[in-house]
Amino acid sequence: MNYSSAKPKKLFLNCIISAMKSIVPKGIFLTSLFLIISGTAFSNDCYTINGESLEDNTNTRPFVCFPHDEHNENAGLDDNCARCHHVYTDGQLMPDESSEDSSCSECHMSQEKPNDLDLIVRYHKLCRSCHLEEKKGPITCGECHKKP
Amino acid sequence: MYSHYEFVTGPFAWMAFLIFIFGSIYRFYSLYKLARKKDGAVFEYMDLKFALRSIGHWLTPFGSRSMKLNPSMTVVTFLFHISLFLVPIFVFGHVVLWKENFDISWFTLPNIVADIMTLIVICSCAFFLWRRIKLPEVRYLTTVGDYVILLIVAAPFITGFWAYHQFPGFAAITIIHIISGEIMLIAIPFTKLFHMFTFPFTRGYIGSEFGGIRMAKDW
Ligand code: HEC
Ligand code: HEC
Ligand code: HEC
Ligand code: HEC
Repeated sequence: MNYSSAKPKKLFLNCIISAMKSIVPKGIFLTSLFLIISGTAFSNDCYTINGESLEDNTNTRPFVCFPHDEHNENAGLDDNCARCHHVYTDGQLMPDESSEDSSCSECHMSQEKPNDLDLIVRYHKLCRSCHLEEKKGPITCGECHKKP
Repeated sequence: MYSHYEFVTGPFAWMAFLIFIFGSIYRFYSLYKLARKKDGAVFEYMDLKFALRSIGHWLTPFGSRSMKLNPSMTVVTFLFHISLFLVPIFVFGHVVLWKENFDISWFTLPNIVADIMTLIVICSCAFFLWRRIKLPEVRYLTTVGDYVILLIVAAPFITGFWAYHQFPGFAAITIIHIISGEIMLIAIPFTKLFHMFTFPFTRGYIGSEFGGIRMAKDW
């Protein structure tokens, strides 16, 4: 039983180090590429949903590219604003009223702990449940939170 | 894609958790019955003080003689087990799903910490594989099942890393990630992965016998 030689230790450390290397420069490379592209040719109409209230989250994912009008056109939601901008009265959904003049966080962010998961989870439920129902649109984390 | 996602996050997930919980209870019960039948004296020997003393030594890095003899194995197994345990429970992507589905949540690991711990698990598995193939004294004891277990343990971490970093094909990989985690849950009660639960009892028993009967150290 003598495998305390230097070899396995090196193997393990090399594995970790090379794996780390493989993600770090790629990240730097891609962000610089992104900066170049977005600075020049690229002009997308991504709508950043209420970025301010979520950006302090320590476990951030890249923000979702949500091209509001285009999305709703493609999804046939043009005249169903209330599907997302809903209004509840006494816990009852009011299908004919809509709340697009308020942001989701006004109603769904807990005041004591503004960075907890409440608001995040509301978005996830609203967005993913429809995509699953319609069998269209993104459902896994990375499909919505695309790396630049 | 959509029906696969619904299946692996719905019925299959429930089945995996139920098999994990009830399979573990069943394994405990049958091990208990077997011990009663084959070697009832086990229960007489059991001594809380000696048991805890032994468990304490084996949970301390370099707390036992064999750990001092194999330092690289010791470092790797400790890092491996800590990461294996913490990452699935405390990684953000999982906690947010507990919150979504059951409205409960807890502390989460910073992304970078979870990332490094994932690499530790993957590299440990590579190390264990290398050891099984290269060292004659280990290869001699190795069965096909040992390689399968290594794969079952490594798969959720490799696919999770893949999905998080959005390497090509990550959407399908995310679904494979979910399945591989469920396979691991199902495997726990019925394979040697069950040592995660039996460890305190086997160690405690050996500790009691060495401490109370043989008056010797077992570390
Ligand atoms: C259907 C699209 C969708 C999916 C799938 C999705 N999210 Fe989100 N998520 C959102 C939206 C929309 C927001 C709020 C606005 C934003 O972040 O751009 C959000 C917010 C977040 C935030 C806080 C803000 C940020 O970007 O850091 C985190 C963290 C997050 N999601 C993690 C996840 C994780 C982990 C998963 C997979 C388990 C996931 N999301 C799956 C749409 C999605
Ligand atoms: C698929 C869900 C969805 C539908 C359908 C939808 N919206 Fe929105 N809308 C959002 C989200 C999410 C935001 C971001 C809210 C926030 O930041 O809190 C938003 C923001 C807005 C804003 C605020 C824009 C700003 O720049 O502050 C307006 C105005 C708005 N929507 C109008 C509409 C109208 C009008 C319709 C119907 C034609 C509509 N929305 C349909 C999801 C939707
Ligand atoms: C005017 C306040 C208000 C606004 C603005 C609002 N909501 Fe709601 N929302 C409610 C109320 C009230 C309920 C029902 C009670 C509850 O679940 O808390 C609700 C329910 C929900 C639910 C269902 C909860 C569940 O557990 O299934 C989701 C998801 C949701 N909202 C997401 C959103 C999103 C995303 C936005 C922004 C596009 C938004 N809400 C804007 C008040 C609001
Ligand atoms: C009522 C249903 C519904 C809701 C709610 C909804 N979506 Fe969608 N979404 C769709 C449909 C349908 C598509 C596919 C459209 C198409 O045919 O390309 C889609 C596509 C997308 C796409 C891919 C767009 C593309 O061009 O491929 C993104 C990103 C997306 N949704 C984000 C979101 C986010 C973020 C939310 C929550 C704020 C959301 N969706 C809520 C129905 C919905």
